[in-house]
Amino acid sequence: MPISDIPIFSMLRTKLQWHQERQQLLAENVANAETPEFKPSDLAPPTFEAPARGVAPVTLLRTSPAHLAGADGGSRDFALRAAHDFEVVPTGNGVSLEDEMMKVAGNQMDFQAATALYTRGLGLIKTALGR
Amino acid sequence: MDLMKSIAVAASGLRAQAGRMQVISQNIANSDSTATQPGGDPYRRKIATFQSEMDRALGARVVALGEVRPDPTDFQVKSEPGHPAADANGNVKYPNVNPLIEMADFRDAQRSYSANVNIINATRAMIARTLDILKS
Repeated sequence: MPISDIPIFSMLRTKLQWHQERQQLLAENVANAETPEFKPSDLAPPTFEAPARGVAPVTLLRTSPAHLAGADGGSRDFALRAAHDFEVVPTGNGVSLEDEMMKVAGNQMDFQAATALYTRGLGLIKTALGR
Repeated sequence: MDLMKSIAVAASGLRAQAGRMQVISQNIANSDSTATQPGGDPYRRKIATFQSEMDRALGARVVALGEVRPDPTDFQVKSEPGHPAADANGNVKYPNVNPLIEMADFRDAQRSYSANVNIINATRAMIARTLDILKS
């Protein structure tokens, strides 16, 4: 049984992936903080039901090995959610840098909490092995 | 790795903001550049624009510096008959650069730049934490 099949590790892995993807979205929002007509986006928090139902993202199927893997522009493992706009400047940009910084800090803290839990989980296994 | 993507996106933001700062410093440096011949046009203020583009290789929306456009507003005209660039009536055209606007713009660029640096630092800390799992 691979280590990632142990429930606590697979749960933590999903959480880490979610934070990783969210970090990318937040980076996009901040990088485009001056782009006209840019609307910030965010990831919807993972729910208990979603992984249980086994929702798979829609992607193009490769029916032949000769096919090129298309860049999955925008297809994600987690649902997108439009970030509610605090303020929209006259150029149509809805990014609030302060808000994004807050989200980045929160994302980083939660990610670190998840990695700490992962480390603890590994420690438990080591204890069980008697090392 | 996905976290490297975040760093690449933030780096594109740094590049775009640095390009904008270059345009602003060009404007400030040339705020007194008049024409070389009598009656000619002086330096025209330039405006940096941004555009969001989908980086296919990266799979993320990065930002890039768009076209650098000239500011179409009128030049300032001062009466200086002895100036080498003065026209027949003794008027000299000075650039349409307002140092106050440029400084405000510069502060804005600086703020966005720091925000992108902040993203890179946060992402680096996340990568370091992931690597710490190996050390346990």
